[in-house]
Amino acid sequence: MTALTLDGVGHAYLGRTILEDIDLAVAPGEIVALVGPSGCGKSTLAHIAAGLTNPRTGRVRRGYARHAMIFQDPALLPWATTAGNIDYGLRLAGVSRRTRSARIAKAAVQVALEPEDLQKFPVELSGGMRQRTAIARALAIEPDFIFFDEPFTALDVALRRRMQDLVIATCAAGRISGLFITHDLSEAARLAHRVAVLDTRGQGILGERLLAGAPGHRSDKAVFAWVQAALRQDPLFRHIHDVDERQIA
Amino acid sequence: MPSATRRSLLHRLAERAGRVLAFLWSGWAGLAALCLLAAAWQAGHEAYGPFILTSPLDTVAAVAALASDPEAWAIGALTLQRAITGFVLVAAAGTALGVMAGYSPATLRLTGPLITVLMGVPPIAWIVLAMIWFGGSDATVRTVILISALPVVFMGAARGITTRDRGLDRMAEAFGAGPVQRFLTIGLRQSTTTLFPALALALGTAFKVAVMAELLANAGGIGGALADARINLDIAQALAWVTVSVALLISVEYTLVHPAKAEVDRWRRAAQPWGVKR
Repeated sequence: MTALTLDGVGHAYLGRTILEDIDLAVAPGEIVALVGPSGCGKSTLAHIAAGLTNPRTGRVRRGYARHAMIFQDPALLPWATTAGNIDYGLRLAGVSRRTRSARIAKAAVQVALEPEDLQKFPVELSGGMRQRTAIARALAIEPDFIFFDEPFTALDVALRRRMQDLVIATCAAGRISGLFITHDLSEAARLAHRVAVLDTRGQGILGERLLAGAPGHRSDKAVFAWVQAALRQDPLFRHIHDVDERQIA
Repeated sequence: MPSATRRSLLHRLAERAGRVLAFLWSGWAGLAALCLLAAAWQAGHEAYGPFILTSPLDTVAAVAALASDPEAWAIGALTLQRAITGFVLVAAAGTALGVMAGYSPATLRLTGPLITVLMGVPPIAWIVLAMIWFGGSDATVRTVILISALPVVFMGAARGITTRDRGLDRMAEAFGAGPVQRFLTIGLRQSTTTLFPALALALGTAFKVAVMAELLANAGGIGGALADARINLDIAQALAWVTVSVALLISVEYTLVHPAKAEVDRWRRAAQPWGVKR
């Protein structure tokens, strides 16, 4: 039983095919990084997998109980406090009022948010804190699958590293599976079990590479060496840094 | 009750009380502005004499005389009731129509020209029509309020929905919110940004139009009292009624619109620099 299976998924936008024949499977407890050049349809694929967009062809099978999603933009409700934002996901998940405050406190501890941060509005928080809140909102509903849609692209290097460590630790501790969309190979190499490469024009998955060792147990040196080797020698990653602005993301 | 919950409840109550006090304290600025207006008024009175412009003090005396007259209270209450019911009507209709149009771009494109036409017709023309249809009754006043304030509320609601942050909609959908839940928790809440200023404008229009319609349709109320003052050339009486209608508008705005707006816009205040807050 897989956590997520995409079977020949295809999509077209205004008559233009942007995804075709995508087959991808994510095993329980596994994090799969989906990489590809910008504009190849990675985000669209994540939205189809999460059920936000209906695929034009193919089918999506979900073997998990509950998913959460973390976007590039934190997408916080500006009128709600940090606690209110975490609470929003819990309310939608149908968690009873009595257990919600305990779950909010637990999620806040997981992402290292202080109790006084919980009473602040998003405008009073820094970019990193906002993304922390978005992660807490996702973790609070206790998902067994998380979709990551380039969540850390807008963060600076040090902050991105901390967020990645946070994701690695929580996913390993909770046996959470995930689909991690990114265009940063070293990010993929740090936190995924497996890296899948999407074709430049969305015409299927070009191939996959299994990474040695579990995420969080790889040294920086090993990650760096893997990325260098992939970019220099592996034909699979030849077009990873191609950019075509005319394509729609 | 666990102590943490009790503490947070106390904290919230204290915070709310603090906000009310800060709001009352901001009244000093309003008082200063009113005193400036009174000074300019007094200067006008001294330049043109009491027959053209009664002094502020005489007007206050006339208002005081009205305040001790139960009949005047009935007149004021009649206009207040008409303005408020008209406002509630236009708020409900305008918000409902605007929200629908906001979600349907085709409807918005169709209604755009209609709104322009509606705005182009002078309110006085509607008063004449409403008088023919309903005579000098409450319905005349309410109809004129509805028609003259509808475009503003409609556009406010429609713009709020069309300019909403679609990223939030997508987020809510990813967390399992259905269309109705998304509308109630995301769409409606975001539309308040443009809807609230539109409603405040509509409330002002409701009072102005109510008095005007009453005067022209001879339908009693403050408008009717103003018509009497004009016949008697009683400037003090006319100014007293103007003062009363302005006072009514201000009291409604500060007991209804402002508290609601302050509650909804709490997060905006949090973003303001200190000098703007106080």
